[in-house]
Amino acid sequence: MSDVVLDVKQVSKLFHSGHDRVPVIENLSFTLGVEQSMAVVGRSGSGKSTLLNLLCGLELADSGSITVADHLFTSGRSAVGPDEASLWAALRKQRIGVVFQEANLMPAMTLVENVRLRASLAGQSAGEEMHWLEQLGVGAQAHRFPDQVSGGQRQRAALAMVFAMHPALILADEPTGSLDRQTADEVTDRLFDIQQTNRCALMLATHDQVLARRCGQCLDLGEGA
Amino acid sequence: MMVKAMTSHYRRHPLQLLALAFMIVVATMLWTGVSVLTGQARDSLDVSEEAVAAREAVVRSDGQPVSVVDFVALRTAGICAAPWLETTRGDPKVRVIGIDPLAMACFDAPPAGDGVGELAGDPFVDMSEVAGQPGQLSLLISPGTGALPNGYQRKEFRLGPATGQLADSFLLNLDALSLLVLFITGLLVRSVYHLGLAQRRSSFALLERFGVGKRQVYRLLTAELIILTLVCVLPGVWLGQALANRLGQGFGLALDSLFDLSLYGSADTPVPWQAAVVMMALVLGVCLLDRLIPQRRVSRDKPAGPGIFPAWVWGIMAVIGLVMVMQAPSLIWVFIGVALVFAGVGVLVPDFLARCADVMARRRIQSANAPLGRWRYLELAVMFRNLALPVVALQFAMATVLAVQALVTSFESTFEQWLGQRLSAELYVEVPDGVDARTGALTLAQMDGLDAWHRVQHGKATLRGDSGDATGTDLMAISPVTSLVTGWTLLASTDAPWAALSSGGIMVNEQLARRQHVELGQSLRVEIGGQSLDRIVVGIYADYGRPAAEVLVDGEALPEAFTPGFQSFSINPGQRSVDDIAQRLTADWQIANLTIRDNASIQALASQVFQQTFLLTRAISVLTLVLASLSLLVMGWVFFSTRSWYFQLLGVWGVPPDAVRSQLRQLALLLTTGITLVALPLGIWLTWVLVSRINPLAFGWSLPMAVYPGFWIELGVVMAVIGLVIAWLIGRQLAGQESLRPGANLIDGGER
Repeated sequence: MSDVVLDVKQVSKLFHSGHDRVPVIENLSFTLGVEQSMAVVGRSGSGKSTLLNLLCGLELADSGSITVADHLFTSGRSAVGPDEASLWAALRKQRIGVVFQEANLMPAMTLVENVRLRASLAGQSAGEEMHWLEQLGVGAQAHRFPDQVSGGQRQRAALAMVFAMHPALILADEPTGSLDRQTADEVTDRLFDIQQTNRCALMLATHDQVLARRCGQCLDLGEGA
Repeated sequence: MMVKAMTSHYRRHPLQLLALAFMIVVATMLWTGVSVLTGQARDSLDVSEEAVAAREAVVRSDGQPVSVVDFVALRTAGICAAPWLETTRGDPKVRVIGIDPLAMACFDAPPAGDGVGELAGDPFVDMSEVAGQPGQLSLLISPGTGALPNGYQRKEFRLGPATGQLADSFLLNLDALSLLVLFITGLLVRSVYHLGLAQRRSSFALLERFGVGKRQVYRLLTAELIILTLVCVLPGVWLGQALANRLGQGFGLALDSLFDLSLYGSADTPVPWQAAVVMMALVLGVCLLDRLIPQRRVSRDKPAGPGIFPAWVWGIMAVIGLVMVMQAPSLIWVFIGVALVFAGVGVLVPDFLARCADVMARRRIQSANAPLGRWRYLELAVMFRNLALPVVALQFAMATVLAVQALVTSFESTFEQWLGQRLSAELYVEVPDGVDARTGALTLAQMDGLDAWHRVQHGKATLRGDSGDATGTDLMAISPVTSLVTGWTLLASTDAPWAALSSGGIMVNEQLARRQHVELGQSLRVEIGGQSLDRIVVGIYADYGRPAAEVLVDGEALPEAFTPGFQSFSINPGQRSVDDIAQRLTADWQIANLTIRDNASIQALASQVFQQTFLLTRAISVLTLVLASLSLLVMGWVFFSTRSWYFQLLGVWGVPPDAVRSQLRQLALLLTTGITLVALPLGIWLTWVLVSRINPLAFGWSLPMAVYPGFWIELGVVMAVIGLVIAWLIGRQLAGQESLRPGANLIDGGER
């Protein structure tokens, strides 16, 4: 297996609005290796979230190719084949951890149950849930439901879920977007520590300049469409 | 872990799961109970119509009931007689018929292995199994049997009804009501289930992000639903059987009093698996119909609309249904017309209500309370669109309850008037078999001090049409015609109808007039006692107690050869005592005992039977309303909860808590009031359909169209209470939240 976790070549994505086709991402190319981190920055509407969705198969590119963990996906087809959808799903299950700004947790399960669920889907054995929750500073809230903890604690729990699956690639969309400065710094510190320890690639979409500067690379999507 | 994830929603919202389970259990119970009873009734009809054709019974000339001694005497005399014992057995008691296959071997029965032919199997049992049970014993003989020994007479033996077709219609009505309830239940179950799915949508999306495929989620949801359905349907079936046992007596009384049909059962009642299968198919069908697609989220800018077809198509469908109901020649077409109307109304009403709310919102712009009032009506519009299914289901349920209540109450009040009319005399004397009623009439005529009395003779007559076709009818002859009958309310009559009757006229009951298209002044050729008589119709009378056709003549005009099947006297004793009358008649007839009944007690008994008659129908409609109300309560509460963020925003913007709670109450009351207002016209229309279309087609007579605003108010109060409960629950929920929820994008609230 190569050290390149993510290889994006000439990827484009259009949004269809009535008869108009608005390009959100045009001919984008980059690579990301193991233990590397990249910040995706740009104004609102520039396509940051769209890019992350493309990289985990939640949306499909209109052209170009994406290689994730040695699996190549070539776009330009009008509909995804069942094998491709299954493959993306398998990757999200075991190799790609996705963290969004909100709604990362099953609302009717406690924090520890959420982590356990994520780990079991990834094929990881049970037993590490409390470790990861404590690593992210929410061990005391492990048996509470998402709506019983603060936004920052939810985000930490979401990160614990991702780390518990031992992914090859972490995609995080505004992971500190709803956090105060102090909490954001604490979460960021833990995020990069664990990323290095687990040797996974990290890609962040963020407005946070402090967070962006912590990353090894920066991809500026500019003004967007 | 996946199973735990999938079911976690119900762990946190157990009330939703309980409500769904309760609905499935109750609906299964209703459907099973009705299926068991109507199934028994249909089997009984078959038994009655097929099993005892062309047989006669032997009765004692002295009027005493026959016994085993008589059976032995007849067989010894060479008569092919067989016992027939109607009794009950088992727990709960079911009605069965004991027969003796050996004794029946000499009958002209259709060839069969055991000579019993179609009398094998339930409800027929071997006489040896029930010989010791109390019951009604008859001795059957074949019509071709020769002369009977002295002391015995032959009599027509018929288990059932000449009213088979009407009994079938009654059962068809019950089936139609059950189907309507089934349909409403389907809508309700689907509503609650899909609301739960909508709330779990974010969880499904999260699982998809985690790499769990949609197919796997769908398989787990299907398995979850199958298990839930099995767990609920099985106890529902058991409860349905219990319901059938509980209501069976009343149902049997109803069939007996309305159609002379006995309800037979089986000692070993099989489990009604068919009902279970139907319910499982219904629940799985309505819930899985569109797979994982939850309720549509709609916005003010993009109203939900009618869906598959444009609105005008549904409107035309409803109009076609209306016309079909008015013109339908048979019950089936009436039901189809009603279904079309319901379909059209069901699709159009939620959007109609939402548009009304939008109009009210626009009107609020100029008002001093504009902002909150406008907000309230716009919220209401969203609710009508998003809660379309339960709104429609509740509308149907309320309309059904309104209509059934109006029908039963109309029937009850008309029935009481009719009873009061028919039982206007104080005393009722049944003429025993074998005595000459004419001597009794002579005695009463000579008795001073009596207020009024008349003799009633019941028998058979035949109407001959112009083409010679014959129609059998019942015959009632009254003599003398006194104030006991001249006070009857006739549906139609000539001038001085009772004088005209005494002068040789004839009256017909409403059932006969409808079926044979008989009109006033028409000449009827009627055969009575072998004589053919032409009589002019001078009146049409209401006859709600029986669905059979009947003609009424003056008893003095009966031919000599006429043999009545049954006779009685109605007497107002006036200054004479009951004992005195009994003594005189007993002496004249030379019998040991004479039973004189107080008509007031008969009236009370008849009313009691009536109550039993409609017990099943009332039970069905009340349980339907309970189901629908529970569904609205659960769904209303859940839906209000999903929009609680917006209610909290009111507080953020400075609206005092009391005012917020007031807005919630008004919103909830507007929701339930809107549903009540659209249910009323549908309920009134359905009432008209029941009394003016279904009842005449099914029973042969019409009922007056009456509405009962008092019941509307009761129903409105129930709905208002539901609205207030919803508002109270939400208010409590909002007061209990420690902080505002951070971010509206967590909330699945409709349009944003």
